[in-house]
Amino acid sequence: MKLAWQNIFHDRARFLATVLGVSFAVFLMVFQGSLLVGFLRAASRFIDASDFDIWITARGVQAFEFGATLEARAREMAAGVPGVVETGRACMAFAVYRKPNGKQQVVALVGADSNLGKHFPVPQLAETTESRLLDSILYDASDRDLIEVASLPAAVEINRHRANIEHEIKGFGGFLGVPSLFTSYRNAARYLGFGPEDGMYILLRVGKEYSVSDVQQNLRQRLPEVDVLTREEFAHKSRMYWVIKTGAGSAILTAAVLGFLIGLVVVSQTIYANTIENIEEYATLKALGASRFFVARIVLIQSLICAAAGSILGLLAVVPAMNYARSLIPWIHTPWWLPVMMVVLSLLMCSLASVASVRSALTVDPGRVFRA
Amino acid sequence: MPDQFLAVEDARISFGKGSARVRALRGVSVTFERGTLSLVMGPSGSGKTTLLSLLGCLLSPDEGIVFVDGVAVNELSVSEKTVLRRQKISFVFQAFRLLHSLSAIDNVALGLEIREGKRADNMVRARELLLQFGLRGKLNHDPNELSPGEKQRVAIARALAGDPPILLADEPTASLDAEAGRNICQILRSQVDQNGRTVVVVSHDPRWKEFADRMITLSDGQIKQEEQGNKA
Repeated sequence: MKLAWQNIFHDRARFLATVLGVSFAVFLMVFQGSLLVGFLRAASRFIDASDFDIWITARGVQAFEFGATLEARAREMAAGVPGVVETGRACMAFAVYRKPNGKQQVVALVGADSNLGKHFPVPQLAETTESRLLDSILYDASDRDLIEVASLPAAVEINRHRANIEHEIKGFGGFLGVPSLFTSYRNAARYLGFGPEDGMYILLRVGKEYSVSDVQQNLRQRLPEVDVLTREEFAHKSRMYWVIKTGAGSAILTAAVLGFLIGLVVVSQTIYANTIENIEEYATLKALGASRFFVARIVLIQSLICAAAGSILGLLAVVPAMNYARSLIPWIHTPWWLPVMMVVLSLLMCSLASVASVRSALTVDPGRVFRA
Repeated sequence: MPDQFLAVEDARISFGKGSARVRALRGVSVTFERGTLSLVMGPSGSGKTTLLSLLGCLLSPDEGIVFVDGVAVNELSVSEKTVLRRQKISFVFQAFRLLHSLSAIDNVALGLEIREGKRADNMVRARELLLQFGLRGKLNHDPNELSPGEKQRVAIARALAGDPPILLADEPTASLDAEAGRNICQILRSQVDQNGRTVVVVSHDPRWKEFADRMITLSDGQIKQEEQGNKA
């Protein structure tokens, strides 16, 4: 144990290089992992934000952002299916937003009934009789610069309809490249020019005494022209669409995988080089009669010390980097388990690398001790 | 029946393949008696170090038998040889082979830990060994802070940690000046006279003749000459 520590601290430059290598790998993996997790989360955030069990969409809709209209009567038909206790509506489409200064901006307009769940971004008072709140619009803080309102409330126009921006919310910054605005379903339908027979997403809550799967099958039989998906199915479909079928998602996925592989290579290489650097000493230990366990333990301890120090440094570096990145990429997200997982992975990688390198130490010819 | 405490019988060993094949030992038979200091001499490439490696269980012969403490080591597994080496054999190297990250006392304590496990008094015993070799002021010095002679004395202290009966030394004075070299010769001789150890020294250094019981000259992988040393 003492030899492992002494080896590390005796050659501080190499130790520093190893720790920097590991910290770079941890940083890379956490950052790229945050991009991927954030992208996956953002790809289904509206679906996840609702607390309804089943989504009805037009046939072939791949993601919430690319909905298509369906007949509104589907809602009445669905409401009549046994087990359905509540229905809701949501829609999303692109619209032209005229700022208070007269400039125009394309926006993603999201409309939803206020019963979709407390996490869904919708004005909770929008359906009251208070006329001012009928036009209530929310926007995400990350879009503040693009929305360009000096103070709230602010009078604006959406598709040439008068609207009031009332509140700023957080956590719904998008990756579409255009700001998102949120309002009630009724207002959104009005701004988007939906007819009374049009709908986009119909959401259904299933009674606790019913099986969601059974209700889903029943709905599919009654509504063969539309897609009937559980919330999890639609969220998964949306995530897979963005990650697999679009170039952007593939690039992020590829970068995350590359980040992981580069991290793996960097960690393995630095640990391996560290062991090989001391190979003569391991030969000496073996010549002196040290057991394989004795030698392996030294190599493993050295690797774990490097992994722990590198992980701590990597995490310390990633915190300010993530804070800064969040101001540029609002959807980036680091769940608590990601850094934990990456630290565990780096410890595992270092252990595996040391196992690989320890073979060199264990198989080194002790006879080389006689070569001056 | 000769004493087979430390011996090789008709040992043959080659390195390399094809045209690059080198026959390092060609049927060497030699017995080293308990409590003696034997000097193995010969020109470079004569097989001296290979013989030492066989005696130290670091190499196995292609043919022939090696005996250590009466045991034919050819039949032993790698781990059994390691155990035998740990219990019976120690080395002194030309290049000292001290662990550069450990102080003098830690190097000796490590030798004790390898041979006898982690014990509370390892540091005390390591200190005693170093004091025996006149290294009182150098206990906590790193190897790179020691002179070559001091390094070799630390290396010998480490080799003696755990009290092994066999000491194999490869050119132990080659890197030392005359005075330091003579000091090392005296130290190893005293291990024979005072502690009854069996010491085999491979060296070109003629000073060893004065301290050896027996001298063996190798040439081209064979024993060319055996004679008694001045101490015999």
